[in-house]
Amino acid sequence: MAEGFDIDHLAKLARLSLTAEEKALYSSQLNQILGHFQALADADLPATIDDARVVDEAALRSDEPGPVLGAEAVTRIAPASRDGQISVPRVVDDES
Amino acid sequence: MSTPPSDWEVVIGLEVHVQLHTRAKVFASSPWGFGKEPNEQVDPVVLGLPGTLPVVNREAVEKSILFGLVVGASVPEHCSWDRKNYFYPDNPKNYQLTQKDFPVVVGGQVEIELPGASRNVMGEHKFIRIHHAHLEEDVGKLSHAGSGSLVDYNRAGVPLLEIVTEPDLRSSAEAEAFLRSLVAMLTQAGVADCDMEKGQLRCDCNVSIRRRGVEKLGTRTETKNLNSISSVRDTVIYETARQIRELEAGRSITQETRGWNAELARGYVLRDKEDAHDYRYFPDPDIPTLKISRETVARLAKQVPENLYDRQRRYVEKLGLPYTAASVLVNDRALAEWFEIAVAAHPTNPSGIANLVANDLLRDLAASTGTAGAFDEAAPAPVSLASCPIKPAQLAGLVKLTDDGVISKQQAKEVFTEMFKSGQDAAAIVDAKGLRQNSDTGELEKIVQEVIADPAVAKSIAEYRAGNEKAINALKGPIMKRTQGKANPVLIDQLLRKFLA
Repeated sequence: MAEGFDIDHLAKLARLSLTAEEKALYSSQLNQILGHFQALADADLPATIDDARVVDEAALRSDEPGPVLGAEAVTRIAPASRDGQISVPRVVDDES
Repeated sequence: MSTPPSDWEVVIGLEVHVQLHTRAKVFASSPWGFGKEPNEQVDPVVLGLPGTLPVVNREAVEKSILFGLVVGASVPEHCSWDRKNYFYPDNPKNYQLTQKDFPVVVGGQVEIELPGASRNVMGEHKFIRIHHAHLEEDVGKLSHAGSGSLVDYNRAGVPLLEIVTEPDLRSSAEAEAFLRSLVAMLTQAGVADCDMEKGQLRCDCNVSIRRRGVEKLGTRTETKNLNSISSVRDTVIYETARQIRELEAGRSITQETRGWNAELARGYVLRDKEDAHDYRYFPDPDIPTLKISRETVARLAKQVPENLYDRQRRYVEKLGLPYTAASVLVNDRALAEWFEIAVAAHPTNPSGIANLVANDLLRDLAASTGTAGAFDEAAPAPVSLASCPIKPAQLAGLVKLTDDGVISKQQAKEVFTEMFKSGQDAAAIVDAKGLRQNSDTGELEKIVQEVIADPAVAKSIAEYRAGNEKAINALKGPIMKRTQGKANPVLIDQLLRKFLA
């Protein structure tokens, strides 16, 4: 089966830096996995609602505010924090 | 740069993200609201911690359905949620819960009104089709500080309705008109507050151009995260000019995602198509498909308020209001309903009531309340009628006193000012100030006869009897003077004509 993906693009999306050996290994493994899914995709099924997964509105939650963790607890489980906020490496999606 | 050369046509589609008016988040019970300390409105479900499961907030679903009904969309039998996968720290789970294949709202349309030739002339009306609207979760807020970025998850999980239009808009003015109309509909139905200063409404703007007469759409760009109506307008103008420049120079348009720098009034490239995110959508296994009962749809249909332009047409055609007053009233549902209560109390002069509401009342209320949301700088400040010292029936009473000739229109302004200060009935103020015009026919008849008998006015009487209608006015002054201005002018006129006939 021809590769349905670009391993460099996937690595970039996943923020992974891969060696040539890793790229070869993961490409082959991904091809296998995608092969399994292709078998599922090939099955002739209409795009409909799965009745077994349907619930009615009784399964909805009411609009009642509940307890919160608090900033102290939230930041404690993060690797790094500052001033009640979670600290991450700089990410920019603006004009630079 | 504001209008493209006539052989180019701009085609615009908008994606409008609206935070729904709920108390709790969309898949979690955490409360949300603007202006809280960072990460104080976060619970384990918002963070996607192990062992937690999202459960959909009923109110968020119902507000979404209500929006669908407001724009005349069909409400599907089912809707379901999908995972949109991406790696970015604004999302604690590495996926956003959204709706891809089975959204809660499909179709519908929004009526818009373009600006008229002048303030008192109604502009053209158009319908903009809605493709669909889906209910998803908002993401956290990033701020950039030095070498790192800081994340506040208070906004993560806030119910967000993404409203996607068909590419039906053809100018920056239409985009502006659409957003104004949409905001009015959302707020009047109580679906959302749309406070743009608090980021409750944000917009992505798709722009392409094509030669007039060509059916095929040109390559489009998407400018993301616009948070004011003026930014949307400026982006359309900027993108249109840029794309025309590119194509006329023989270059092509790249399908790309762009940002907008409102300070510098210019757009910039965020990423091109090669860089496009592969979101690997799949149905969320944690949230079952929801069946929407027809009973719920019928119940919500009763909450749909009168469409603002239907209301405007009714005011102009049935109540005879001038367009200027009608257009002001219909933009604010509470104000329009206030006006209608007043009209019910004095049904014979809706225009008289409308003019007082749209001019005097609004002016005095605006002076005593806050400012408009920043998304729409041009909109009038929303006023709070809750604190309005005048009740609708009291205003109706004031108009009735004027219509009955008890006080003059000039005196009505004075009485209105006093009513707004004290909250007293118009009649009480008129009596207290001794403004009541004299309508006692017997006493007035005597004065009129005395004035007519005065030789000083004999010439005017002769002129009037000779056919000069205006000569009668010369007699009114002396009568008014002798009644200290309290005589009812209508009655004076009647009596003069009676005695001079």
